[in-house]
Amino acid sequence: MARANHEHYEQHGHRELHAAIPRYHRMNTKDKVNDTTDTGSFPIVRRKPPYGPRGNARRARIVSSVLVALLSALLGFGYVAQVRNTESSYESLTEDELVRVLDETSTQVDKLEQRKSELNAQLESIQSAADKQEEAARIAAQNETTNGILSGRLPAEGKGITITVTQGSTHVDASTMFTLIEELRNAGAEVISFNSVRIVTSSYIKDTKSGLNVDGQSAASPYTIKAIGNPEDLQNAIQIAGGVGSRLKVQYNAKVVLKQQESVKIDEVRRSPTYKYAKTVE
Amino acid sequence: MAAVIGLIAGVVFGIFLQPDIPIVLQPYLPIMVVAALDALLGAARSFFERSFSDKVFVISFLSNVITATLLVLLGNQLGVGSQLSTAVIVVLGIRIFSNVSAIRRFIFKG
Repeated sequence: MARANHEHYEQHGHRELHAAIPRYHRMNTKDKVNDTTDTGSFPIVRRKPPYGPRGNARRARIVSSVLVALLSALLGFGYVAQVRNTESSYESLTEDELVRVLDETSTQVDKLEQRKSELNAQLESIQSAADKQEEAARIAAQNETTNGILSGRLPAEGKGITITVTQGSTHVDASTMFTLIEELRNAGAEVISFNSVRIVTSSYIKDTKSGLNVDGQSAASPYTIKAIGNPEDLQNAIQIAGGVGSRLKVQYNAKVVLKQQESVKIDEVRRSPTYKYAKTVE
Repeated sequence: MAAVIGLIAGVVFGIFLQPDIPIVLQPYLPIMVVAALDALLGAARSFFERSFSDKVFVISFLSNVITATLLVLLGNQLGVGSQLSTAVIVVLGIRIFSNVSAIRRFIFKG
């Protein structure tokens, strides 16, 4: 409408112009009001400028991308953290699964208990075996000591007597001295030494011109015999009436001195022989 | 594109750093993850509808996560934490499904 009025104005002359201006102006304002499309029925849509007043589209896009990437990274990080967390806990298991896990665990516990008792029994048997072995070792050590004393391998000390036989005019022969030693043995002498020679089962005495020979070592008067055992018994064995003591005195005119001692020490030892033929029976 | 790169970067960070979640945060993290996933899918949908706005995305992401966490926290305080977290998960799941179906319609035109 407004445009049509303008065309009308162009066609008429310049003269009418001055008078027509205010009228046209009024019409124009009225038209503007009439031409408005705002009926009130539709909301006014205000168009947003695309990217702010500056319109820096590239920077805005970069910022947006970075934000999206950051938040997505946050999501991914949280996801992985949660997945890792869920794997290691029983929180997400159902009741049935938990019951099953419990059953499995208790079965395992039972098995382990059984295994433990088995191992304990084994340990006990091994320990008793070790005890037995220890006992055997102890007996062996005891035997070794006994045998060592018996075979003359170890020095010995204890109650006993010392006999000194001083030869008179007559030569004291070997058999009498041997009888003396035998009497001592019969009386229970445990360790006997003759003039620094340890008397063992294989000991021998033989006569020589100058005196006696005991196990290859020559011995001369006075003979010193040391014996460990019950002193009373040993003394009685020698001094019994008609015994070897009186025989030495009477027959050989020798001087026999007997001394009971609280501690007789026999240092003489004998190396144990190596047996050539005899072997132990297993 | 940025979303995919960010997701991969986050997963890689998570695998390499092996984070230990603080015990306070433990009941809320799964809800937060689901809420964030919903926000991400909503953003993808709006991207296909050509109405994507970074501000809206950021705000919806944060508000989704915070709202979900607060709801579960409230549920925990009221003693219905597990039920409320189930409710949150269900709602978010429905939203995720609807978002995915919208995206699918944009991709396959039908």
